[in-house]
Amino acid sequence: MKILILLTALFGLALPAWAAPGVMLRDEVLLAAADARAASVGRLARNAQVEILARQGGWTQVRAAGRTGWVRILSVRASAPAAGAADLAGLVGAGTTRPDSSRVVAVAGLRGLTEQELKLAKFNADELALLERYQTDRAEAERFARVAGLTPRRVDYLPRPARQSSDSATKTSPWATPGY
Amino acid sequence: MKRALFPLAAMVLGLAAHTAQANDLEKLLKGVLRGKGESSQPTPQPSQQPAPPTTPSAPAAPAAPQQPGAGTATPAPERPRDQLLRALIAGKTSPEEEARIGQQIAGNLLGAVPLVRDEALQRYVNQVGRWLALQSERPNLAWRFGVLDSEDINAFAAPGGYVFLTKGLYRRLNNEAELAGVLAHEIGHVIRKHHLELLRKSRGIAALGALVGGRLGDEHQIVQNLIGNGAEIVARGLDQDAEHEADRIGMVLAARAGYDVYALPAVLADIGHIARTDKSVSLLFKTHPHPEQRLGHLAEAVGDRFDGLPEGQSGASRFYRLR
Repeated sequence: MKILILLTALFGLALPAWAAPGVMLRDEVLLAAADARAASVGRLARNAQVEILARQGGWTQVRAAGRTGWVRILSVRASAPAAGAADLAGLVGAGTTRPDSSRVVAVAGLRGLTEQELKLAKFNADELALLERYQTDRAEAERFARVAGLTPRRVDYLPRPARQSSDSATKTSPWATPGY
Repeated sequence: MKRALFPLAAMVLGLAAHTAQANDLEKLLKGVLRGKGESSQPTPQPSQQPAPPTTPSAPAAPAAPQQPGAGTATPAPERPRDQLLRALIAGKTSPEEEARIGQQIAGNLLGAVPLVRDEALQRYVNQVGRWLALQSERPNLAWRFGVLDSEDINAFAAPGGYVFLTKGLYRRLNNEAELAGVLAHEIGHVIRKHHLELLRKSRGIAALGALVGGRLGDEHQIVQNLIGNGAEIVARGLDQDAEHEADRIGMVLAARAGYDVYALPAVLADIGHIARTDKSVSLLFKTHPHPEQRLGHLAEAVGDRFDGLPEGQSGASRFYRLR
């Protein structure tokens, strides 16, 4: 344990303060820049352990085996919540590092969302009326977006991929790591 | 066509032999409905019929969204239950019928879990949700969004524009873009009518029972009979293709609305870290593919398609924090 702490302290100095541990979700080419046309600087196999360094658009900068480069954001995820890991908001999976108060409550006693309770649920007109009151019309939504500076963009729907992800082999899955 | 007047009782007896064959059941049901419809309208001119059509054919392509004046505005001579069943089975529910089914499901769900008593929260979620829905092909549905007072982690949709998420899920979100991703996934279920399709596929037997029994009086009961007990439909889950499709739509609608397109995957990754045995996700994991599989699907679907997309907003500073 002491050695671990020592190693962490030593290597921790060499890493940027916001690096977070991550794992590759699929085989990927490590690119020199956050651009599909950038030069390859290596390859990363599925399940490879990486350090997540930064994000730029749809790309994540990672370091693995001494090499630094960029991979698509959906190809890597932050590892399980690690004590003291930095909050890299926006990185896939990085949001898990904050304390999780909801779990305690959840185990104590859920209300209403078991199958049995849903089956027995009775129509509640009062709650439905309340829901209607909060309804936002088109003009109000557009005003909200204008104030927020949200500009509509043209983005086509994603077709169903021809090849389904074959992640059924959970034994080799990067998610099967013990601890969560 | 005369043989469509074949006694119902005989058909029901025949049903016992057919229960294992869903397709047969569906055909049978269509036959019954055709018979019922015509018998209640002695001399119909098919061309003058308002929607739904007199000959419900095999699962038609999804009706064009927002069909102007679709059918039911004109009082139909058919009884509501016949009309509703017929429309459902033909995959051609009118906007009014869809709204009625959604209202029943939403009202029942709210009977199980009430809304969080926080008006600012509810209004905020409605603003974000409506802005997202405006980017879809059904911008003018009566969209309603609500945060349910439950620490369970889940989100639900019902036909006609009802979208809910739990307080437990909201609490896990980091910013407005993540909220947008979750809401946009549910909007995806609504605009592609996934729950109506589920009802069409699975409520055949109950529908036939209702029809034959003839005991159903008011419309409330008719719709309730269609959707099953209470809000069980939200506990049954859709098929995996529907969930994957809603994930793809969720990313796209969030991107169209100006948000960070990768926020929904971030939520999925977060939820994937919760132990499968954790009670707060038991219903979610029962009714959805595991987040790992959903992320894998999204990675395949996205590929390089968003490479040129400018980074959207996270909306972190606007994000409404729970009290």
